[in-house]
Amino acid sequence: MIRLAMFLWLTGQAATADSAQQHMLAGLEARKQHQVDLEITEFRKAIDADPNSAAAFAQLGAAYMEKRDYASAISSAKRALELNPELVIADQVLGYALLAQGYAAEAIPHLQRAGAQDALGIAQIQTGQLTDAVANFTVVIAQRPNDPDVLYYLGHASGLLSKSAIDTLLAHYPDSARAHQALAENYFVLRQMPQAEKEYEEALRLRPDLPGLHLELGQVYANSAQWLKAEEEFRAEIKLQPGSAEAAYRLGSALLQQGKPHEAHMELERADRLKADMPETLYALGKAASLDGDVVTAEKAWTKVVELEKTTSLAAQAHFGLAGLYRKQGKSAQAQHEMQEFQKLQSTIGPPRSE
Amino acid sequence: MFRRFSRRDFLGSAVFAAASPIFEVKALRGVNFLLQNSPTTHKYLIETMPGGVALLDYNNDGLLDIFFVNGGKIAGALRAPENFERNDPRYWNRLYRQNRDGSFTDVTQAAGLGNAGSGNYGMGVAIGDYDNDGYPDIYVTNYGKNILYHNNGDGTFTDVTAKAGVATGGWGVSSGFFDYDNDGHLDLFVTRYMEWDADHNKICGGEWHTYCPPAEFPATTNVLYRNRGDGTFEDVSKKSGIAAKKGRALGVAFADYDEDGFTDIFVSNDGMQQYLYHNNGDGTFKECALEAGLALTADGKGLSGMGTVFQDYDNDGRPDVLVTVLPRELYALYHNDGDGSFTYKSLEAGLGTLTSGSSGWGVGFEDFDNDGWKDLFVAQSHVLDNVEKIDASLRYKELPLLALNHQGRFERADSGITTPLAARGAAFGDINNDGWIDVVVSTLGGPPVLLLNRGGGDNHWLSITLRGTRSNRDGYGARVSVNGQTRFASSAGSYICANDKRLHFGLGSTEKASVEVLWPSGAKQLLNDVRANQFLEVREPERP
Repeated sequence: MIRLAMFLWLTGQAATADSAQQHMLAGLEARKQHQVDLEITEFRKAIDADPNSAAAFAQLGAAYMEKRDYASAISSAKRALELNPELVIADQVLGYALLAQGYAAEAIPHLQRAGAQDALGIAQIQTGQLTDAVANFTVVIAQRPNDPDVLYYLGHASGLLSKSAIDTLLAHYPDSARAHQALAENYFVLRQMPQAEKEYEEALRLRPDLPGLHLELGQVYANSAQWLKAEEEFRAEIKLQPGSAEAAYRLGSALLQQGKPHEAHMELERADRLKADMPETLYALGKAASLDGDVVTAEKAWTKVVELEKTTSLAAQAHFGLAGLYRKQGKSAQAQHEMQEFQKLQSTIGPPRSE
Repeated sequence: MFRRFSRRDFLGSAVFAAASPIFEVKALRGVNFLLQNSPTTHKYLIETMPGGVALLDYNNDGLLDIFFVNGGKIAGALRAPENFERNDPRYWNRLYRQNRDGSFTDVTQAAGLGNAGSGNYGMGVAIGDYDNDGYPDIYVTNYGKNILYHNNGDGTFTDVTAKAGVATGGWGVSSGFFDYDNDGHLDLFVTRYMEWDADHNKICGGEWHTYCPPAEFPATTNVLYRNRGDGTFEDVSKKSGIAAKKGRALGVAFADYDEDGFTDIFVSNDGMQQYLYHNNGDGTFKECALEAGLALTADGKGLSGMGTVFQDYDNDGRPDVLVTVLPRELYALYHNDGDGSFTYKSLEAGLGTLTSGSSGWGVGFEDFDNDGWKDLFVAQSHVLDNVEKIDASLRYKELPLLALNHQGRFERADSGITTPLAARGAAFGDINNDGWIDVVVSTLGGPPVLLLNRGGGDNHWLSITLRGTRSNRDGYGARVSVNGQTRFASSAGSYICANDKRLHFGLGSTEKASVEVLWPSGAKQLLNDVRANQFLEVREPERP
């Protein structure tokens, strides 16, 4: 009798399991067909057939996510985790649903367990865990380098982290060189050059050997057309960092601006040696070499710019430079070709306009 | 033995090192002109563009007189057809006659130059003796209709615009007389800025309402009038090829850059490429700036071209071009290479350090220190009167730029002006006939400023007045060389201004000069052993 009862119970269990499995499959098929309501119905039937199926609850939660019914998704996913705390898909659904509802802190452990780094990064931004967010998005961007959302969030997180760090710096170390540097950079962006200059000078007074300060102060002077002062600062930076290609490029440009083509030529060649194939350096080198009478270097530099840049405005400028160079050499056909290339690019990137 | 270095020696050397400014800044005695540009919150672009200044001797008494172009009244929102209340004396153009004592007398009303037309907002002025009667005539450009005033020779002028057929219409800016066909009659070139009227104004700027950039409005054509020699002009803009290209022209200057005997035209355009009209010698022109290398910067970028000058700055005998522009560009200096092409030389000439933060309008290459090299003067001020709110690194009012020419390289010098100005026009000439070039600068909403050259020093000079016979009477278009320096006779150039037509040469320490004049007629004249420090009239031989 007991055996019979046991047999009947086991047979019933097997029938229930078969039924739950069938509804699960039907639910997944409905998902493929984007029939969300049918999906929900099938997963519910699966749960009715097997109320202890963590997988069915998890899939039902996922279906509610598709329907943007986050409250129901949370409830289903929580039940799934009660039934099976190791079920990763349930963590994933719960993490996304909580995040969508604005419960970022609660979402984080679930997203961590689910390995959902993009959503985790967003949750971390919302909870102020900016360092972790940047770290997560740095991983994600390596996998999806062209995803606009990831690019946005990486930039956003980095910006917030940067602001937070600077706020801390200014609040706790207002008299430090770095605080003055940070203020100076801010003034520079706002084009408030006298204030930027003052802050850089203070930073330099406090830490005269801090790399980058002279370079940035030089750029303040360059922006205010004080080229001689800019030159002095770039030279000071080079004294500190002789291997800085940027400092060499900036110095070369300042010398060029002052009408010192030979010195500019030499410095820009040095910049090119320190860091090859930088289009801006090569363009400026071409210009300085051309003014210095070294047409071979000018041609080489501008040709390289065209190779590197192809269709940018810098490439257009290089074509224009080459056209002038060839015209002065009496190479009419080449000059004409370069001018045509210049005009072709201008027609695609816009007519020549003042800055 | 070494002589002990005394305190007096020290003071002497200190005084030498701290040289006095070239100019003394003076008010023009008897001149009460105020340039009424009427700035409004509507930011109509015309408001920031006047006002012309002309230095001319209208009564042939040997003293330079001054003509000022006024803007007009804009009380609020404009509607076409606009009325700028030019019948109100506050908005008149003004002519001031110079008296023997250096003061000036307002002769506007007596001269018949009062009301400049109700729909006309004044811009610029050109001076030339278009009918070869020996008296300089005045052409005034306006937003509206331009006006030609014939000088009657008795202190009065007559508006002959309708008869002459030179009203143009649209937005006239710089203009100039020149003889493009070498027939001995001065023709007229008029630049026009853009197609704009009050009904088609735009609102520009974000938080701060600003004057719109030129690209917001359609480009337009320039106008060339051929002087028929009977007091009337023919509009030859189309058949000459001048109207084949539209632009946004603000400045014009003339010279024969390729020495083919025909005067060419350079036009500075705002926010785009510049135009060089080569005179083909058959009544037509070909715009060739791109091929000639002076359309764009060395980086292939357009320019916010405003004022321009077409003279030889490096004493190689060939006319070069300078264009004044907005900040973050450089005033563009194009060196004439003598093969029909030009090379951008702003950096080599030192303009990279002098001009990258400034906005330039009126401009001249004049030898202010009489050392034999033409120096550079630029009237400066940003186009936007609220630029400081938009970009704290820029200034609306600026000091003018004075840069002395050291063998082709310019170095800043003290102009003597210590208060920044909203300067626009700059006209050059020897106002007090002392042999040193002076400058009159117009300022928006303010009185004109006279920069009187202090002179002094031992340098000599020579001032030449051309008297054409076969050529036009003013000798415009003649190439005059003195001791290795060259000037191209023209009163045009700068921005909306007309300069003293006399050709001024600094001679340095040389007391004698050799003068060569190549007239537009083709006649060549050579004068040797000409005494320095004099005003010399050179009359063209009447026969070939």
